[in-house]
Amino acid sequence: MTERRFAHSIKVNDAKCIGCVACMKVCPTKAIRVRQKKAHISYDRCIDCGGCLRVCPHDAIIPLTTQLADLDRFKFKIALPSPVLYTQFGQEVMPNEVLAILKEIGFDHVYDEALVCEMINVATEEYLDENKSLRPMISSMCPVVVRLIQRLFPSLCRNILPIEPPREIAAKNLRAEVSEQHNLNPEKVGIIHITPCSAKMVSINHPESMARSHLDGAISIREVYNKVMMKLKRETGMLMMQTQNRISGIGIGWAIEGGEIRGLKYTNSVSVSGLLDTIRILEDVESGRLKNIEYLECLICPDGCIGGPLTVENRFVAKSNVLRLMRHFGGKKRVNGVLVKRLYRENFFSFKWAVEPKAFPPLDKDRNVAIQKLKSKEGLIKRLPGTDCGVCGAPDCKTLAEDVVRGYAKLDDCIYMCKGDLQSNGEKK
Amino acid sequence: MNKSDARSEVLFQQKFPIRGGDFVNAGDSSCKIRNTLREIGIDSDIIRRIAITAYEAEMNVVMYAERGVMSINVYRDEILLTIDDKGPGIENIDLAMQPGYSTATEEMREMGFGAGMGLPNMKKNADTFKITTEVGKGTRLEIKILLDGKND
Ligand SMILES: Nc1ncnc2c1ncn2[C@@H]1O[C@H](COP(=O)(O)OP(=O)(O)OP(=O)(O)O)[C@@H](O)[C@H]1O
Ligand code: SF4
Ligand SMILES: [Mg+2]
Repeated sequence: MTERRFAHSIKVNDAKCIGCVACMKVCPTKAIRVRQKKAHISYDRCIDCGGCLRVCPHDAIIPLTTQLADLDRFKFKIALPSPVLYTQFGQEVMPNEVLAILKEIGFDHVYDEALVCEMINVATEEYLDENKSLRPMISSMCPVVVRLIQRLFPSLCRNILPIEPPREIAAKNLRAEVSEQHNLNPEKVGIIHITPCSAKMVSINHPESMARSHLDGAISIREVYNKVMMKLKRETGMLMMQTQNRISGIGIGWAIEGGEIRGLKYTNSVSVSGLLDTIRILEDVESGRLKNIEYLECLICPDGCIGGPLTVENRFVAKSNVLRLMRHFGGKKRVNGVLVKRLYRENFFSFKWAVEPKAFPPLDKDRNVAIQKLKSKEGLIKRLPGTDCGVCGAPDCKTLAEDVVRGYAKLDDCIYMCKGDLQSNGEKK
Repeated sequence: MNKSDARSEVLFQQKFPIRGGDFVNAGDSSCKIRNTLREIGIDSDIIRRIAITAYEAEMNVVMYAERGVMSINVYRDEILLTIDDKGPGIENIDLAMQPGYSTATEEMREMGFGAGMGLPNMKKNADTFKITTEVGKGTRLEIKILLDGKND
């Protein structure tokens, strides 16, 4: 493939960045530093949560998603929108209209992911039925959560449900089906997710559980939004002829927190959304506190994927739209359970390999040196003012101390330390 | 320095006070311990075992004692976790160690505690587990977890 494959899904546009520290302050893994008035992302630490993208007041954080123009290299283009897309265009618009319009803006075929969400529910139940020794199992749906577990909770990698998320399964199925139907080289079929977050680019370019993703790219909802909106305005009423019976109400629910566990027979499941709450619950899992819970759905974005950083509609309105669509399509199961169970037996849904821990590096490879560094870090923290002003270019005093012992920064990057040193003769108590 | 000295030297120590009845901050100390161990490059599976024991021990102080101190001591080949509390002590250790035995109150059970699995779980995750207690005074736990020997 000719496209450059990025290990990460966001980058800083230096021309727009003024070094205001907004992004640095919100980064949950302390991956951002400001140097010479520009933000720098350390890709060793970034988990692609999109927090920086949300807060940047200068539009200087760019999501590295696929562009519509990139699709020309495919002979046959298939859009596989996240169910979130259905919620972005107001109360009146139905999924089938959105799907029909995608076909008018350059896709040869469209596919509703919601139905596959239902299949994954069945596969998840099969897995939980058969594997009872480890609890809770954690959903693999959100790529940021997977990355977060690898980085911050490496011992929980084995708790990640080894079943691919709906977007991957849908793409896998589609490629086989469509290339056969249209007699095409599978490589010439481009299957493109329409995504509420750039994080999907990471799971596409660098999947953690297989050699190669079944998807060929992910276009942001923002990128298609205007095009779809224009067509909707112009052509209302004309697009209603598509059948609706294949849309799954249960699957649409996956767009909000709790949607995944709602379809499970395991009612002792918990759903969490938002970065801080996800971290908190994973801490509890690591402490062995939540063993009585069967399944844990974690979504990094507030309220779930409808709160994704690349969505357009206000997430509260989008949530109400999801609920309305769920009511409309009902809670009836639309998948053939027997078929899904057979596919499950054939490992159709399974990871090729387990997600591996990728813990953040310790202060030093040598444990004794790391301990020395930890001690000097603690000494430094006591000396620093604790105001977390960010002027030094690190998000807070603790992180500056860590940067100093790691050799990435100097103590006198702190403006208080320069001043303090000058005055220190007289006033030490 | 001879070999046994190097082994018995405390390389790093941290202490955390724990307040009985403080369910709001319960779990904080074990969380801090976990972060510390990550920074010095302890294996993630060992961290998990320590996180579990530290959490269970911390919770027992919160639930049953007045106050306590948890301390983590890193040696060359092992980690020693001690939890000292001032509290009622345990009348019958054998009974307390039995899986399922609990004197947790109804309220605690509603919060999800009181399965009587804390002490057995600590023992399961520890390489050595020592408990000493004096009724009316308090309890002391000493939990050792071995680091893989080849790490110096
Ligand atoms: N530090 C302590 N001081 C006094 N009594 C204790 C202490 N630790 C444990 N116990 C007693 O031992 C019993 C068993 O403790 P254990 O931690 O195994 O279970 P639990 O705390 O009751 O329930 P769980 O830990 O599963 O929430 C407790 O119910 C309590 O009576
Ligand atoms: S919650 Fe959904 S939208 Fe947000 S990062 Fe995870 S997968 Fe993407
Ligand atoms: Mg207990």
